[in-house]
Amino acid sequence: MRERINSMRLFQKKFTWAILYGLLLVSFTLYVALDTFVITRVYSVLPTDESGGSLNSSEAGASVNSSGENTEETSETATEQSNVLQLTESVVVTENSYSDTNISITITEYREYDTTIYVADVCVSSAEYLQTAFAQNSFGQNITEKTSVIAESNNAILAINGDYYGSQRTGYVLKNGVLFRESASKDQEDLVIWPDGSFEIITEGDISVSQLLENGAIQVLSFGPALVMNGSVSVSESEEVGKAKASNPRTAIGIVDDLHYLLVVSDGRTDESEGLTLYQLAGFMQSLGADIVYNLDGGGSSTMYFNGEVINNPTTNGNSIKERSVSDIVYIGY
Amino acid sequence: MFISDTKAQKRHIAKTGFVYLLVSLFCVLFGAVYEHFSHEVYSGYMIYAFMFPLAGGALPFAALSLYGSIRLPGRLPLNLYNAGIAALTVGSIMEGVLEIYGTTNNLLQIYWSIGFGLAGISFLLYAIGLLAGKKIKIQKENL
Repeated sequence: MRERINSMRLFQKKFTWAILYGLLLVSFTLYVALDTFVITRVYSVLPTDESGGSLNSSEAGASVNSSGENTEETSETATEQSNVLQLTESVVVTENSYSDTNISITITEYREYDTTIYVADVCVSSAEYLQTAFAQNSFGQNITEKTSVIAESNNAILAINGDYYGSQRTGYVLKNGVLFRESASKDQEDLVIWPDGSFEIITEGDISVSQLLENGAIQVLSFGPALVMNGSVSVSESEEVGKAKASNPRTAIGIVDDLHYLLVVSDGRTDESEGLTLYQLAGFMQSLGADIVYNLDGGGSSTMYFNGEVINNPTTNGNSIKERSVSDIVYIGY
Repeated sequence: MFISDTKAQKRHIAKTGFVYLLVSLFCVLFGAVYEHFSHEVYSGYMIYAFMFPLAGGALPFAALSLYGSIRLPGRLPLNLYNAGIAALTVGSIMEGVLEIYGTTNNLLQIYWSIGFGLAGISFLLYAIGLLAGKKIKIQKENL
């Protein structure tokens, strides 16, 4: 009883309470900051092929679960690798283009709205060459690597930063036909890539990711918003004030026609390039003939990698040109 | 324990209100500087974080110190209330930081729960104190 009274008195003491509570609050805030930005948690590691890259959906198969077990025989992978070796003879690479029998990429630099915009016009013979990859080949929290590093480890020909799934605790994560995160963010607009390479914009509140997987979805990108839908700009100037109206480096992916894609990255936050608003980016991509365009993670994350080099000027604060580490990439490769 | 109406306590309440005003000004300044470097990504949580110490601290404490007839809260509800407002203010700033960065964290819910919870308990204790005080007064009058 006496102890209880003493503890009550402790709580009533002016400075004891303030100091104890202040320490608790500061410690908790520090932990929240560390948990958000620093503490790494690996939930699953993807199986890798012999060349070090992660297995894509056709290699890994839809039966690969989130724990990373591969149930498919590896003979198919070996056959595909020998096909790739045969392709090397027909590869033509220039400073701003790449082509072989399955993939054709042309990089063009545009200058719009006081900003340099890098457009990769991509044509592929199959949707399997449009892939995604995780940093460190692992799904988890605060697992990041530079876009160029992830691209190199996956032998990507062309790569852009992805949806940075790691910055969100909710939102679908379905990559290369494997489901990693099911928790929906009700109003979140996602881009679904189907096995035939076609795009569709869905809202997470309307359909579960399990259903999407069952329907055959290969990739789900969860960032947004959709910039162009059915050839029309779907984001207005007044929408999302504070985000859409701000000029920033941007990354987006669009589809022009069957298996014909546009991967776009703009510079920004520098003296040379102001950056784009979402509305400007949407209008620009519409002018290139895109039917569906989806916004990916931008700002300091915006990076385009082509033939072993970063070709844009990634920057977080405009003071230095430096790649930011991200959770995932979208890439073209085998 | 739950209420107090001494002159010293009234001075303390006025001083606390002034501290809350300073905290509000700090939050305005912090939010403005943070938003200045946020590349035009805005967060209501960051911009309006100052409202917690202002509307929840400076204004009510100024009112309490001005209206002499109102019985003042004692040390326990006062400590709990201050702790609640502190949690809400820090929570709002953290929510703003994460929103501007473009991320979320479920742990942020704890700030809101603790903040509103402590402020609620403090109100309850103050109300109990006021009611008990009234009862004693009536009993004394009846005697």
